[in-house]
Amino acid sequence: MQLLANVLIDGLAYGMVLFIIAVGLSVTLGLMRFVNLAHGAFAMIGGYVAALLTREAQWSFWIALPVAIAATAATGALLEAFVLRHLYRRTELEQVLFTIGLSFFLIAGTNALAGPQVQLIVLPPLLAQSVDLGFRTLPAQRLFVIGTGLIVAAVAAWTVTRTRFGVWLRAAVDHPDTAATLGIPIRTVQCASFAAGAALAGLGGVLGAELMPLEPYYALKYLVLVLVVVAVGGMGSLPGSLLAAVTLGIVETASKYLASDWGSLFFFLAMAVLLAWRPNGLLQR
Amino acid sequence: MILLVIGLLAWWALPDQLGLVTRIAITALFVLSLDLVVGIAGLATLGHAALFGVGAYAAGIFALHLHVDPLLGLMVAIAAGSLLALASGAFLLRYHGFTFLMLTVAVAQIVASLAQKARDWTGGDDGLSGFTMGPLLGLFEFDLEGKTAALYALVVLAAGLYVSRRVVDSPFGLAVRGIHENRARMAALGTPVVRRLLAMYTLAGALAGAAGGLSAQTNAIVGLDSLSFALSAEALVMLILGGAGRLHGALIGTVVFTLLHHTAASINPYHWLFIIGAALMAVVLLPPQKAWAWLRSRRGAKA
Amino acid sequence: MISQIRRMAVTAATTYLALTAFGVSAQPVKVGIVGPFSGPYSHYGSLFKNGAEAYIASQGGKLAGKEIELIYRDTGGPNPGQTKTLVQELIVKDKVDYLGGFVFTPNALAVAPLIQQSKTPTVIFNAATSAITDKSEFFLRTSYTLWQVTVPIAQWAAKNNIKKVVTAVTDYGPGIDAETAWKSEFTKQGGTTVESIRMPIATTDFAPFVQRIKASGAQAVYTFLPGGPPNLGFVKAYNENGLAKSGIQFLGTAETDEFDLQKFGDAALGLTTAFHYSAAHDSPENRTFIEALKKRDPNAIANYASVGAWDGMYVIHKMIEATGGQKDGQKALTAGRELQWESPRGPVRIDPKTRHIVQNVYLRNVERVGGVLVNKEVQSFGPQTDYGLDK
Repeated sequence: MQLLANVLIDGLAYGMVLFIIAVGLSVTLGLMRFVNLAHGAFAMIGGYVAALLTREAQWSFWIALPVAIAATAATGALLEAFVLRHLYRRTELEQVLFTIGLSFFLIAGTNALAGPQVQLIVLPPLLAQSVDLGFRTLPAQRLFVIGTGLIVAAVAAWTVTRTRFGVWLRAAVDHPDTAATLGIPIRTVQCASFAAGAALAGLGGVLGAELMPLEPYYALKYLVLVLVVVAVGGMGSLPGSLLAAVTLGIVETASKYLASDWGSLFFFLAMAVLLAWRPNGLLQR
Repeated sequence: MILLVIGLLAWWALPDQLGLVTRIAITALFVLSLDLVVGIAGLATLGHAALFGVGAYAAGIFALHLHVDPLLGLMVAIAAGSLLALASGAFLLRYHGFTFLMLTVAVAQIVASLAQKARDWTGGDDGLSGFTMGPLLGLFEFDLEGKTAALYALVVLAAGLYVSRRVVDSPFGLAVRGIHENRARMAALGTPVVRRLLAMYTLAGALAGAAGGLSAQTNAIVGLDSLSFALSAEALVMLILGGAGRLHGALIGTVVFTLLHHTAASINPYHWLFIIGAALMAVVLLPPQKAWAWLRSRRGAKA
Repeated sequence: MISQIRRMAVTAATTYLALTAFGVSAQPVKVGIVGPFSGPYSHYGSLFKNGAEAYIASQGGKLAGKEIELIYRDTGGPNPGQTKTLVQELIVKDKVDYLGGFVFTPNALAVAPLIQQSKTPTVIFNAATSAITDKSEFFLRTSYTLWQVTVPIAQWAAKNNIKKVVTAVTDYGPGIDAETAWKSEFTKQGGTTVESIRMPIATTDFAPFVQRIKASGAQAVYTFLPGGPPNLGFVKAYNENGLAKSGIQFLGTAETDEFDLQKFGDAALGLTTAFHYSAAHDSPENRTFIEALKKRDPNAIANYASVGAWDGMYVIHKMIEATGGQKDGQKALTAGRELQWESPRGPVRIDPKTRHIVQNVYLRNVERVGGVLVNKEVQSFGPQTDYGLDK
């Protein structure tokens, strides 16, 4: 019973971090059909900005977090508007090559600017304390992650289904040409979605810093996990990403508890099974 | 044939760096096998290292427990690569596009996890070592400078290139290229699409396994890095760099990328990634073909 | 009288010309340093560089009167194929006289045949699996092995009424050495190892393992992880999940390494480890070492990796001295095996049979001294050999 509770809590926390980072990539892939392998770098940038602000500049975490998110969003927007949009018409392989090159460049840049050590984000006392739930003690930060994940999911769902932007987004994903002819500002939608995705990745990078330590190779190291969530959840599907992230997060955590010397075998086995069963995403037919 | 000439020239002219020549030859063979899958058959994969790795471990285990003859070990490696390709391909080829890509990642990671778990056979994170290769063809010992190793790798690469060229230019190869361009039409024409793709995938597995076997034999050690995602990704980058689909692009990409890495790393071990990253981005923004054409037009204008 | 001076002058001039003609004093001794300079373990590369260059600077820029050329090569992570190629190039093309460095076991194992064939004495600054030095007689080691630091702490735990322990190690060579060493010695002392947890090397989230430790019912956890992100993650998880509060004592070796120590904050206070080097070791040699490091780079950290490089260069220094700067692997090796000296860590010597360093292992607790966290040496277990090879 204790074990089950542990697996669920840790798995949920891990899954939420994956979800928050993956959401942006899922939308970008589904919307622009653009293979952005530099997405991991956005998470890294967000985390690094927060780390540097809280540690070096001694800002409060609660201020550093939105600033980090904004910084990542801005980076994403600029990148999209000036560089990446020219690659939309290129072949997928060329997009892969470019974004991997970009990731390498960002990794080298991070290494040059901040050094190779792991960056720690200074958490405020509220989050740094341990919460005793009776059957288990865990860092408050983990509960914060789970909560934030649920909020992000809710806000994203609301945006997509209830706002005008959401309507534009869905139209652009499903029928780009028709959407354009109807006067939907496709470029704005693309840039804004890309920036939003980058911002969320940045948020995920900050929240996940405990589970996925921030160091220069972060950009490529965790990319595979994020791609897996997007694939299993289905490109462009937000609820799919949530379900995929949580499921896979729990599987991975369970295997760490029960069969740690098998490594990530069960994660990938589960992934293969889910993908083989639903090739177009968990919630799509 | 040109390849053999260049290879022999390199072997003769760079006696101090035969280790590098060997490494380039082995990697080129691996990337060549990737080209058969990505460039010819049109299936983007990020799990190709699994085929390389099983070849490497098969050759290593064979040498450690059974027999140290290099050519026999090479046969074992080729068999291992082909078998894994056949088995995984039968499952993978039912899917397309992004799903196929992610499933190749899954298969490769599953193989890697199994290899890590099976410490008794593979040495786990410490690697499989402790075997010394016997002399090649019973005559040529593997020497310190790597002369035998380099020649061995170059000859196998040349053989692989020859086989690939013949296959790609054959009716079978044309069919596969047809499937790449338009799967529906080929199916309508009555081509057994999955069977053709599987055959090509298996051939690629054989070549990748050969490359893995060479790596195990020339290094006398096999590490888990031979099954890693990083290896698959690097190979894909090298292939795209050189140009996919033309076979010699694989060789060009490998040589350029490896030399770039080697030179940049020895100049500055900390910051070589800058150079590689910038180079990759530059190649996409200014493709070599356009650059050549631009240069030619400049020269034409001046004349 | 004048003819005597003239004769002396002529002899001196001829000798000088003869020497420079053969380039004896002009030819630098080349040392290849192989380690990770990029990637998640690149801090080892910096630590090696700082330790080695600080040593040379402390000796006046030359070792045994010879110029030293350090050639650095990046292995990335555990990458035996690439390491072999790099070392082959160092030996054949750059013609190095000595090799140093090595963080990962597979990388060291890969080059064993090369150094054996070329008779290149190779000093391991870090890789800690016992079996490595067996692979070639030209391996010498100035770091440590897991058997060496585990046996004493197992004995100490048994003597201090700790009867039930759970081990948690990273699933690779040194980790498994640590687990085996602990189980063997602790059982010999009458203790029980209730569970042996192995953690995959790629783990970043240690909470599940910490929960398992809690559930095991042991009085203490003995752990080993490679330096860098895994260390940090595990110790944080230990604290955040309330393990200290539930009374499970932490017994470690390299986990409170000076490189990351300050990042733990107060959570690290009281952690007990057994290890061969603490930057807080009170000796003139250690002070010289730390000063030399800071002179090169004020941010340089004195820890087991930089002291491994420092002592490694000392061994190479003595080998150069013994061979007069000439390349003679066998002669250098013979000299290297006999060495005995006072290192920044304490008195040390090279065991001629295993070619591994015999050194004091200390019991330390983390304390705050002068506002900074240090590993305070509480007790010395005396000189320890590599029990893993002594069998």
